[in-house]
Amino acid sequence: MATYLLRRLLLMIPTVLGITLMVFMLVALAPGGIGAGLAVQGGQMSDTSKVAQMQAYLEDRYGLNDNVFVQYARWLGRVSPLKFGTTPLVAPTGDLVREPRDLPEPVMAWAFPAPAAFIVQYTPPSGEALVEDFKRLQREAEGTRRTYVGSVRGVKDALADHVRAIGAPWTARLEPKGGADPERFRDLPLDGDAPTLVKLRAAAATMHASWSEAEAARQRATIAFLARPYPAAGIEIIPNAFSLGAPDFGVAFSRNRPVWDLIATALPVTILINFIAFPIIYLVAVPTGVLASVRRGGAFDVISGLMFLLLYSIPVVLTGVFAIGFLANNQYLGWFPVSGLHDSAAATMTFMPYTDAAGAWHRGWLIDMVWHLALPVLCLVYAGFAVLSKQTRAAMLENFSSDYVRTARAKGVPSRDVIISHVLRNSLLPLITMFVGIFPAMLGGSVVVERIFTIPGMGSLVIEAINLRDRELILANTFMISSVSLLALLLADILYALCDPRVAYD
Amino acid sequence: MAAHDMIAKPAARTLEPLMSVEDLAVSFDNGSGPRIQAVAGVSMSVYPRQTLAVVGESGCGKSVTAMSSMQLIPRPPGCFDAGRIMFGGRNLLELPEHEMLKVRGGQIAMIFQEPMTSLNPVYTIGDQIMEAVLLHQAVSPDEAAGIAIKAMADVGIRDPEGRMRAYPHQFSGGMRQRVMIAMALACRPSLLLADEPTTALDVTIQKQILELLRGLQQSSDMGMMLITHNLGVVAENADVVCCMYAGRVVEYAPVTELFDRPLHPYTRGLFRCIPGLSELRNRLVTVEEVVADPREYEGLRSEAGPVVPWWPFMDQSQRPALDDPSRPYALVEVSPDRWVGCWRTPEVARHPSRPPRIAPA
Repeated sequence: MATYLLRRLLLMIPTVLGITLMVFMLVALAPGGIGAGLAVQGGQMSDTSKVAQMQAYLEDRYGLNDNVFVQYARWLGRVSPLKFGTTPLVAPTGDLVREPRDLPEPVMAWAFPAPAAFIVQYTPPSGEALVEDFKRLQREAEGTRRTYVGSVRGVKDALADHVRAIGAPWTARLEPKGGADPERFRDLPLDGDAPTLVKLRAAAATMHASWSEAEAARQRATIAFLARPYPAAGIEIIPNAFSLGAPDFGVAFSRNRPVWDLIATALPVTILINFIAFPIIYLVAVPTGVLASVRRGGAFDVISGLMFLLLYSIPVVLTGVFAIGFLANNQYLGWFPVSGLHDSAAATMTFMPYTDAAGAWHRGWLIDMVWHLALPVLCLVYAGFAVLSKQTRAAMLENFSSDYVRTARAKGVPSRDVIISHVLRNSLLPLITMFVGIFPAMLGGSVVVERIFTIPGMGSLVIEAINLRDRELILANTFMISSVSLLALLLADILYALCDPRVAYD
Repeated sequence: MAAHDMIAKPAARTLEPLMSVEDLAVSFDNGSGPRIQAVAGVSMSVYPRQTLAVVGESGCGKSVTAMSSMQLIPRPPGCFDAGRIMFGGRNLLELPEHEMLKVRGGQIAMIFQEPMTSLNPVYTIGDQIMEAVLLHQAVSPDEAAGIAIKAMADVGIRDPEGRMRAYPHQFSGGMRQRVMIAMALACRPSLLLADEPTTALDVTIQKQILELLRGLQQSSDMGMMLITHNLGVVAENADVVCCMYAGRVVEYAPVTELFDRPLHPYTRGLFRCIPGLSELRNRLVTVEEVVADPREYEGLRSEAGPVVPWWPFMDQSQRPALDDPSRPYALVEVSPDRWVGCWRTPEVARHPSRPPRIAPA
């Protein structure tokens, strides 16, 4: 058993890697690419060059200019608990600080020779002064890098403008969107004093100037970083070469917050709702399925089956909207709140309900939440009864006609005990398969229900991440849900072995 | 031992049968089609220490008769149309469920054909035998375990204490059937219904199991109804044979007399179907072939006069004149301890014969 578990756990690693690789490639292939959602938001910006620079900044920040496999390897390196390379540091805020990255090379070096490489002399102070210095240098490096990346984009744009000014046949080498890849214009003659050419030369000069600035800032920041202003993250095995650390899911660029923070706020909400919904589904559906199988073809069987099927066929979108429209709308019944998890005054409420001196009843925080959760939970549970109760019924019926049930009856076992300890006990196996499906579902959240009732859970988070192509958030979600799914399947196999002595993993 | 056991168990060597099935009729609902008459007027009886073999082809009503006596027929779709099954002075067909629970497993036990699937796969052998013991005997779990171990030792399972904790899938077919027998006999029932107990087993195991059953039967004054297809098994193990066809008893006789001189054409056909080792046949004979000859149904001598053996497919024109066409069938004692199913002609109707009972010598 132990060997089996170990083998299964080890096999999970390549499985999770495969899943994340596929999702990574899908995100990379998505129309508009990563950050497409942000570009759309940028539509309000009137200055197109600002949009372009924003894009260039994002591309540089997330390393989108690199080969997609390189990008994936980089992501993997951050998520992996085994870290290679320079050990990251932990700032007092809890954020990870990495070694400043090398700058991308200036473009069009064949036409506009790049400034000579140089080494900045900088001796970092020690103690508190180092921390202050590092913070300043970090900001400076970030700012100058941003300017430099923008200026590289400026060169490319100027090149594209120039190519368009010359016209055919050069324009054929432009990218479909109109951008210019400098590498494809190595043989473009750059003599003369056409206005576009003048602009291109000016852009190159700007690029070189900002490169020198950014490079100097980077070198200083790197020296300060290597002086360790903060403690190292994780457990350092070989200094600045190999360390162990917690997976780092990075920063969600759509909200500029660490992915883990976003998940940590959304996950408890989703788990709370599912923690109420799933027991309700099981407590209703399993006994119903058992009773329906006992009185097969009877009124209870037919009516419960029909009702659950009816509920199952109502789309949750419709139910949610009707529930808000009729049950929550003050024009009709107005019994429930329309959206959210808490009343706006929830922060001032006591936990338990109470009656004050004037005799007025205050519902308190707990009742307020239950009241808010009623409709979302209703929407989550009603469709779940059908499948589970039918599964239970089918499994029960299969066992009812089995020979050992006849044996039990022939032994004189009372009907009730035959049903519970012989039939139901043997019907557990198919239910286990369904049961473990709960765990990934609990993390995933219900997109539709959370959207309808404006609940800030995992479903809302994921759908927003997908809309904005927020790669880090999507990948973190995928990673988490696939890991939990795999663990749930392993749990299922362990439960099989516990429930059925015929199953043994040796 | 519980009080009801004392009342219900008839004393050994009585002349009263342990269980007697009287004119039993059972039918099943067939959805949209006509009801299926699985058993139509079956009578038979079992005495203590006696083995009654019920033979006949599949679907002739053997198992339905046995299952009816334990009310194990699902109702609906099943239905007891007529007759009664007397056991210990009570009609088993009319016993309420709570009374029936004491009879099942306690006074009448049953072994089934499929040892491979008749044990619950998720419980240990010990649990399953102990379940039966605890249901019918007022004993503590420890005492029940002792009874279960003894029952397993009785049926020849080695290392019964260790095997108590084993699961059914760890046993071979023959060993599982031994477990079934141990489970059935752990409560010392007065009647054992063995529904094809050896059909799924190979001949070596078959012989072992039957010898085991016979030994246990002799040591406990138990009556046994042995349902089987196998005429060899019948010849070696049975005292009385009840041959059934199409839900009716066609012949009822002591085993030696039946094998020496079968009276009903169907029984004769059955015997002729057994392939012999010494004869060369290109194809096997079927019952249809051997009972197709109309002369077979010309009549038998009986105390009531000549009777015509009953046969469901007999040509309408060749049937004798009947007393009551709605009840065409009667089981008649044609000579002492020999019963044959025949057409209910007026002579037969005028000479009602006693129900089939062959007391052990």
